[in-house]
Amino acid sequence: MNFTPAVLLAVSLCGYAIGAGGGLLFLRRERLANLFCFGASALSALSGLAAAMLFLVGGAGATAPQFELFPAPLPYLHFSVWLDPLSAFFLLLVSLLGVAIAIYSLGYARGYFGRKNVGVLGALFNALALATTLVVTADNVWLFLVAWEIMALAAYCLVSFEHEKAEARQAGVLYFIMAHIDAVCVILGFLMLFQAAGDYGFASLHDIGAKMPPGRRDAAFLLFLVGFGIKAGVVPLHIWLPAAHPVAPSNVSAFMSGVLIKTGIYGFARVAFDFLGAPPLWWGVTVLTVGTISAVLGVLYALMEHDLKRLLAYHSIENIGIILMGLGAALIFLHTGNPLLATLALVAGLYHTINHAVFKGLLFLGAGAVLHATHTRNMEEMGGLIRRMPQTALFFLIGAVAISALPPLNGFVSEWLTYQALLQGFGTTNSLMRLIFPLSGAMLALTSALAAACFVKAFGITFLAQPRSEHAAQAHEAAPTMLLGMGLLAGACVALGLFSVQFVRLLDPLTQQLTGQQLSAQLSAAHGLVLTSLTERSGTVSTLGLSLTGLCLVPIPFALAWVFARRTKVRVGPTWDCGQRSLTPRMEYTATGFSKPIRMVFKALFRPHREVQREYDFSPYFAKTLRFDSHVEEVFEQQIYRPARVMILRAARRVRALQAGSIHVYLLYIFGTLVLLLLLFAI
Amino acid sequence: MNPPATEVASRLITLLATLMLVFQLLLVVQQMLIANIRLFALQSLLLTGIATVVACAYGAWHVLIVAVLTLLGKVIFLPWLLQRLVRRIKIEQEIHPFVNMPASMLICGALTVLSYVVARPFTSLARLGSNTLPVALALLLTGLFLMSNRRKAITQVLALLTTENGMMLAAIALTTYGMPLVVEIGIFFDVVVAVMVLGILVFRIRESFDSMDVSKLNELKW
Repeated sequence: MNFTPAVLLAVSLCGYAIGAGGGLLFLRRERLANLFCFGASALSALSGLAAAMLFLVGGAGATAPQFELFPAPLPYLHFSVWLDPLSAFFLLLVSLLGVAIAIYSLGYARGYFGRKNVGVLGALFNALALATTLVVTADNVWLFLVAWEIMALAAYCLVSFEHEKAEARQAGVLYFIMAHIDAVCVILGFLMLFQAAGDYGFASLHDIGAKMPPGRRDAAFLLFLVGFGIKAGVVPLHIWLPAAHPVAPSNVSAFMSGVLIKTGIYGFARVAFDFLGAPPLWWGVTVLTVGTISAVLGVLYALMEHDLKRLLAYHSIENIGIILMGLGAALIFLHTGNPLLATLALVAGLYHTINHAVFKGLLFLGAGAVLHATHTRNMEEMGGLIRRMPQTALFFLIGAVAISALPPLNGFVSEWLTYQALLQGFGTTNSLMRLIFPLSGAMLALTSALAAACFVKAFGITFLAQPRSEHAAQAHEAAPTMLLGMGLLAGACVALGLFSVQFVRLLDPLTQQLTGQQLSAQLSAAHGLVLTSLTERSGTVSTLGLSLTGLCLVPIPFALAWVFARRTKVRVGPTWDCGQRSLTPRMEYTATGFSKPIRMVFKALFRPHREVQREYDFSPYFAKTLRFDSHVEEVFEQQIYRPARVMILRAARRVRALQAGSIHVYLLYIFGTLVLLLLLFAI
Repeated sequence: MNPPATEVASRLITLLATLMLVFQLLLVVQQMLIANIRLFALQSLLLTGIATVVACAYGAWHVLIVAVLTLLGKVIFLPWLLQRLVRRIKIEQEIHPFVNMPASMLICGALTVLSYVVARPFTSLARLGSNTLPVALALLLTGLFLMSNRRKAITQVLALLTTENGMMLAAIALTTYGMPLVVEIGIFFDVVVAVMVLGILVFRIRESFDSMDVSKLNELKW
């Protein structure tokens, strides 16, 4: 058999389906179910990865494979998939994460043996992976929407997988509601496109915006922005993210944060760059602004968290913001007629998409390993884990460095490209609008710095110093398959950082499709070792060179030490403990304490709630008990969602009067409606 | 097919359909439960007659299967089932509708007029029995009215069945040439199953509430 992308994609889709079926078949045999389901999804994802790579390496000239899954019973409905460069890029992302997470799950799901049904977990995981793959490869609106809905349902089931916890149930319902608001917007948007095109195929929707009246086009754009924005988790539509990610099983959180929210980006990129045609200025400005706000607020709220997985969820919001900054800038450049710069910004956004998938997947997997070992998500109860789980700590550190955008890892490359696009954007137009570029550039800089601070906290409080609780003291290293899963993603972080120029070349067919430009030649210098930003003047960087330089610098301190300190004596003594008897975990820096300065600086935004209760007998200086309570509540939760909820409930109570409870009244409703309609028809 | 034969058939169908409507009106005014069931059986028999006429006169032989099914199901089986149910749960025979008899008659008359008005644009287009569509509509509407006017679950089942008769009439007399047999058989079995389920429900309601009055079901509302 010939291994073409089409065949590999078909194999991958079938594999997921078989995995899902197998999980249900082996409900009673958890070990077999675990091995079968996650084995199947790992192999399917591998096949999908191969399909995407083969197609992308084939370059712009490769023909798009397209085939029907099974014959459709109804007209219009075609269960057919294709690979065009944009699909292939997202298939690459989905499958890459799929492989690593499936392997990790082989070990992680063992934690559920005897407690929860692993067969169900495996089946749902496969269903989610299948639906996500279909979302990014569907070649028509129907299949896209069907897969979109299956994806939302599977994710809902997985979020409330541990449904014995009230928290998981609530998060599930919240996700369910948000997912359906998002589905409504997306469906309406596609219906508007369909009205103009008269066909549901993606191929015939290409550049359809040109045929639509401007008002409708703008309405469609806004619908898509809200719909895909909810899925991606942009502020202020993000509230499901910090609720749903922490309570889901960690492999699922990794998949949701790494892949699921990226389908929102896929949808947006598909619609904004492929379907809607030449964008007016305000589209790009809106997207750039929304992205900037998401990035800054995401990281600020992340800093306030001491639940490890919630912290990571807020970072997803931040990174989605950074991705949207790239895409928004690209839309502005398309408007101002700078296709090259638009391509640069697009490459930056998409590069950050895959980077975020990789390092956030890695971090969630690491958090899962920590959770598995300590049975808590609260960072204040962790500490000292680096001694007990050194490999997990190493992988988590790699992820943390990558997300903090430190060279030479992948986060650095894409954020650097985003900066370049933003900074060069200042010169492209003379309107006052151009001020938005340096402003969002500055915000991006702030975001990166705060993200770095946040991960100093996350890594330091979790892994360093002494264990703060019994659980943390008894932690153990994760299972080998879990380590392998994390290792794969850590490797991907390093590879995407070091071989950025080579990766940008893979994006060529994609940019050719969306903006008609190919950038890899202009972006690479010195035979692909150095990444430049179109003009030599604005900057070049080589992650390979940076790491080589770093490696060369390593021996220097040793050499200096050898030269100057050879003769001094080494004395080992106890850590200074301020005269106390010994150091205890109670003296450690807490996560709340670490983030206090930032909480104070951004007091106006956070409005922290603090409460001190002191009980004393005769003098306030000799307190018997002291209680301190401090928490930060989200502005959006208070100002937007709570009033909305109250209003909806009030309206629902009114409507309930209709539900009289008497069959006759219901029958009368039907009867009355019928007669009324007939009367209207007759007159 | 010689023209006089279709002419006769058309008139016959109109006659039978009108008789169905008459039986429907009788159902509205009849106060005894058993008599109600028998009226329904007779109405179904008329429907069987219409189906047979359509089948013979127009050579649409698959309609004959519908006729046989109607005969077996609605004329024999369902009335027998309902009568047995009535005897087994030993309820009082008299029906107490919400709206009294003369008012019901007036309402049904109004509904019939309405259906004639609504169906006017189509009557000239109909290929046979130009009166059948309004009659079918009238059956449907009065059936619905019956359903909301009756207290006891079993009389509501009967009303549902007459509504269904109206739909069958429309299907057979107007569109059957286009409507596949499978659909009709599907509808038919739907009805049979629905009646079975409702029969069991009636039993349960009787057990739980010691009455068949569905008005008492609102005690279930929280």
